[in-house]
Amino acid sequence: MAAGPASLVDLLRESARCFPERQSLLLRGAVVTYGELWRDVCRAANALRAGGLAPGERVALLIENSPEYVIAYYAVLQAGGVAVGLNTAMRGPELARNMAHCAASALIAMPGHPELPAAITSGGTLRQIVTTPATAGIVPRAALTGTTTWHEWLSGADSADAPAQVGPHAPAAIIYTSGTTGDPRGVTLTHRNLVANTQSILAYLGLRETDRIVNVLPFYYSYGNSVLHTHLAAGASLVLENSLTYPHLVVQAMANERATGFSGVPSTFALLLQRVNLGEYDLSSLRYLTQAGGAMAPALTQRLRAALPAARLFVMYGQTEATARITYLPPERLEDKLGTVGIAIPGVTIEVQDAQGQRVAAGVEGEVCVRGDNVMPGYWENPAATARVLRDGWLHTGDMGHFDADGYLSLVGRSSDMIKTGAHRVSPLEIEEVVLELAGVAECAAVGVADPILGEVVRVCVVPGEGTAIEPRTVQAHCRDRLAAYKVPKEVVFVATLPKTASGKIKRFMLKEAG
Amino acid sequence: MSAAEQVRQYILENFLFSTDTSLLGLDESFLERGLIDSTGMLEVILFLEENFGVKVGDNEMVPENLDSVNRIAAFIERKKA
Repeated sequence: MAAGPASLVDLLRESARCFPERQSLLLRGAVVTYGELWRDVCRAANALRAGGLAPGERVALLIENSPEYVIAYYAVLQAGGVAVGLNTAMRGPELARNMAHCAASALIAMPGHPELPAAITSGGTLRQIVTTPATAGIVPRAALTGTTTWHEWLSGADSADAPAQVGPHAPAAIIYTSGTTGDPRGVTLTHRNLVANTQSILAYLGLRETDRIVNVLPFYYSYGNSVLHTHLAAGASLVLENSLTYPHLVVQAMANERATGFSGVPSTFALLLQRVNLGEYDLSSLRYLTQAGGAMAPALTQRLRAALPAARLFVMYGQTEATARITYLPPERLEDKLGTVGIAIPGVTIEVQDAQGQRVAAGVEGEVCVRGDNVMPGYWENPAATARVLRDGWLHTGDMGHFDADGYLSLVGRSSDMIKTGAHRVSPLEIEEVVLELAGVAECAAVGVADPILGEVVRVCVVPGEGTAIEPRTVQAHCRDRLAAYKVPKEVVFVATLPKTASGKIKRFMLKEAG
Repeated sequence: MSAAEQVRQYILENFLFSTDTSLLGLDESFLERGLIDSTGMLEVILFLEENFGVKVGDNEMVPENLDSVNRIAAFIERKKA
């Protein structure tokens, strides 16, 4: 029997071999074919190696969705390195923390990114810095060795296909997520994890080379990451639309490009349904819609179905720790299983367990636990956090749920305090640590409060220090300096005390209701 | 206060949490600054509709009309003309 693909690079190589002239990526009118993509991946991989990258070393990417992001990501894998896609919305201190944590030896970045200097100065281990073509460069070249532009970097590189000899269980990527404890949690994914999840998703979505998706999801999160890899593995086309700020332009692109697919989180669909009259556009080419990134209200699911009845809607559930995907609801069961997240994807086993780790019967609530080739080996350099979620051979997701008699999973909430806002997960502790830096704040607690589009927005409840006066705007401005925009509290509420249990734990649910 | 100054003040207060006008140039792109996301834009539109008595149609939600203080001011002027 022939060996299966060991790496995502093998899947891309096959797409390039079968469909060299087909369009792989489109951005603002520029088109990259599979042949061109593959050639540049090989060149970039050889350039990384020529610059001294050794197998297992981390390469940080600070690049918005673009052909350069994709070329760099696959080149890192081809060279045996570990790709670390950084969240481009992050501010300097957040980037610096992740850069230092993964000890990257190379950084490939957009030159115009305002936080690039912070990312560079934090990387004491950096040996190569490459800036992608973009706006005017701000890289302080004088202080750095090995800094080069994308064009210089690729033009001197060999285009030979020379994959590194690393095993399927070697790390391939790190995705940083927000942990409830606020410390860096880099989900480490192996080549096997990425290939297994990609193939499972392909099996149920049935993607093919004639598919064309308009993509708005950032590739540095697991959902966008999986959309990228599955479509490239199928030889399909990805039309990159990097902003939802003007939602009807995204829908216009779907019509103009004759898109067959579109993927979103609940807030994506809420926004499109609220602001765009979908009936005014010819979206007859749409064959599939996928939704993940948090529970979507059944009413919104039904509105989406009514607005786009011809497209098959896949409701899905996943977690970065499981590469991306854990379950999907087959579209033909959407009506009778509405409100569930469906069944396990191929190759994945799910159990609902009680607090003692015992499997519970259908209908009984417990923690959702997962096993399969998609489950990460652990968090990067964080054995304590790893030990909390990987126990007894299971990934403990922290999500609470129950199966019905037919094996369909319903989620009933999380056992953690994470705030879900739009496509983002936000750790309350991370916000609290920043707010506490302000003089005049004695105590604070961040919670998520309901929002009609984003699901939740951040509220911070502040106990002012004795005899001090502090303005909400001061709190927000401080957060804006230190945190990505989506983490900045929309609401600042002043309270005399924080409600606590007898053991001193903050009763967050009470703070969600106050205000 | 001119429409442009009112809009700048609103953006400063609600997205930069400041009153320092040096933080936001009249022609600076909100998209390039990463200042206003999709829901932020809905808030901006609500502000324009409530304070300038204009109705912003979905098809008018384009960067040409809304991606800087001066573009918004010119858009309001055109709508009111």
